[in-house]
Amino acid sequence: MTVTAGIDVGTGAVKAVLFEVEGENARWLARRVERVRQRDPYRLAEEAYDALLEAAGLRRGDIAYVATTGEGEALSFHTGHFYSMTTHGKGAIFLDPETRAALDVGALHGRAIRIDARGKVLAYKMTSQCASGSGQFLENIARYLGIAQDEIGVLSKAGDSPEKVSGICAVLAETDVINMVSRGISASNILKGIHSAMADRLIRLLRSIGSIDGAVLMTGGLALDDGIGACMEEGMAKEKVRTPIRHHPDSIYAGAIGAALWGAFRHDKLARQGALANAA
Amino acid sequence: MTGTREIIARCESLFEDLDFGYAREWKAAQAGRKVVGYMPFYVPRELIHGSGALPLGVLGGGDQLEVIQGDAYYQSYICRIPRSTIELALSGRLDCVDAMLFPSICDVIRNLSGMWKILFPKVRSFYFDLPQNFRDEVGGAFYIHELEELRGVLAELRGRGIGDEEIRASIALYNENRRLVRAVYGLRSREPWKAPSSEVYLLMRAGMILAVEEHNRLLRQYIEASQSEERPRRDNARVVVVGAFCEQPPLNLLKSIELSGCYIVDDDFMLVNRWERGDVPEDGDPVQALALSYLHNSGDTSAKYEPDQSKKGLYLVEAVKTSGAEGVIMAMPSFCDPALLERPMLQSVLSAHGIPYIAFKYAENSGQMQPIREQAGTFADSIKLWSEQ
Repeated sequence: MTVTAGIDVGTGAVKAVLFEVEGENARWLARRVERVRQRDPYRLAEEAYDALLEAAGLRRGDIAYVATTGEGEALSFHTGHFYSMTTHGKGAIFLDPETRAALDVGALHGRAIRIDARGKVLAYKMTSQCASGSGQFLENIARYLGIAQDEIGVLSKAGDSPEKVSGICAVLAETDVINMVSRGISASNILKGIHSAMADRLIRLLRSIGSIDGAVLMTGGLALDDGIGACMEEGMAKEKVRTPIRHHPDSIYAGAIGAALWGAFRHDKLARQGALANAA
Repeated sequence: MTGTREIIARCESLFEDLDFGYAREWKAAQAGRKVVGYMPFYVPRELIHGSGALPLGVLGGGDQLEVIQGDAYYQSYICRIPRSTIELALSGRLDCVDAMLFPSICDVIRNLSGMWKILFPKVRSFYFDLPQNFRDEVGGAFYIHELEELRGVLAELRGRGIGDEEIRASIALYNENRRLVRAVYGLRSREPWKAPSSEVYLLMRAGMILAVEEHNRLLRQYIEASQSEERPRRDNARVVVVGAFCEQPPLNLLKSIELSGCYIVDDDFMLVNRWERGDVPEDGDPVQALALSYLHNSGDTSAKYEPDQSKKGLYLVEAVKTSGAEGVIMAMPSFCDPALLERPMLQSVLSAHGIPYIAFKYAENSGQMQPIREQAGTFADSIKLWSEQ
């Protein structure tokens, strides 16, 4: 029995999980998500880790492997670090075994990751540096419009005549939104326009990683945004892409889950080699 | 006992000092002292030291130097080290250098030696030709002649001849230096978490500036300190970094590779520090000893010809095996002819031996590390999760 931790330090939120792994069987012990909100993400990560241990009745010494992902490589107590594509792929397979591609929609980037049944990354594409089409951009626009984050999805789905928003440049997209507000366009149609533009980019990203032999699972902070989900489904139907797009209530933890599971895999492999790391 | 933090802080201040304050102070401390600059990848520092001069490694301007005048001397498709070296000289930062050696690493450096003669006629500029034939009667005879010519140049600079005893004494000091350098590399290869590559790099760079006696003391201190300090051992992939033997990678690049989950367990950053694989004989004819060591007991790099094609690139396979590495990162400077022309041959050899590798290019002033972190990090993931070991 191996107990491991996975910590995903993202731009918008820190996600941490504890897992108990034995062979192919993995069981959640605890989970925690903390939005960054201009605080030190590394301090948040450490606090989240300690809170998880407390919730599970464990101490740091009980954890065989602390695996980080996202921007977590600078955490002083990690045993090993895995890159986002590696962890989101594995996490997606755990959440939905039929997944053969993860679409990670985070605060700063979008990533399409094609995987096999073991979670091995076969192809990968990421959006460019521009923040348009990212969760951070959406969050900013919602704030300008005075809309709470949990209202975004509901309002977007109510949109019946969405306005086109620039999908390339965050500055142009913001200008588009200012123009729409001054023209009296409803918040629902503005949000749906943004979601549609984001969905267009994400669908292009998915098409660029090749043929997907299974389902696509949306992961990351925006995975549970109903609005983007609905626009993705509409966009996929319009583009005649038959790959099913799926969601999972724990999608936001996909990176942290993948890190914890790969951590257990590495721990067992290193134990067999007699070369265990002891950083944590 | 001096701790690693203190030792590395000193090395870093030497590394960041583009005015070469140490060399200036060393020269000013005694009348008649000379400083002899040299470029990568190899020069016989024993001859320079034997003449009483300070060998000073000039490895470009790094990422802290803005190149303004240097760009006027080279076309755009030439690497950055000659531009920044010219910039260092034109801005007066190298005015403590009395002679400058340009080893035969590539056409660009050969060209630079010519420019030096024109631009700085008062500085003795010497193009140091290394043998590409390894038979004693051909390459050996040529190289002894080349070494004797250099000995004459250094004697002229000093104002009197250089005795065999003086060279033998220097060989003994550099043998000790190479033993200590090998010890540091061995320590890092065995326990890389105790000797991070960013520290080992700075320690080796200090050897390009400090007098060898002082560098030996520093190496001993570091070995002692790093072994006595406890540091966390992470689950990182073990890699060899190859291709960076001339224009140096920015320090942040090394830190990024380490941060992305790799332990660098061997490299070719400063070959001159460990070019000879064992001791150079300390008795007999010292010039002949240096020549024979170069021919028969030295390292390999793309600037050195390999006459037996079946052995091409095997030095890298050997480095992987000896250091227990799990993969190779080919980090080569943009527009570096020797490194980039050798790269496909190395890739072919690595593939034949089932050794995973990645390749990317850099310049000494590269600032954007995110793509390198992504590439090195995913390479580390693939080794850790999918290698057969």
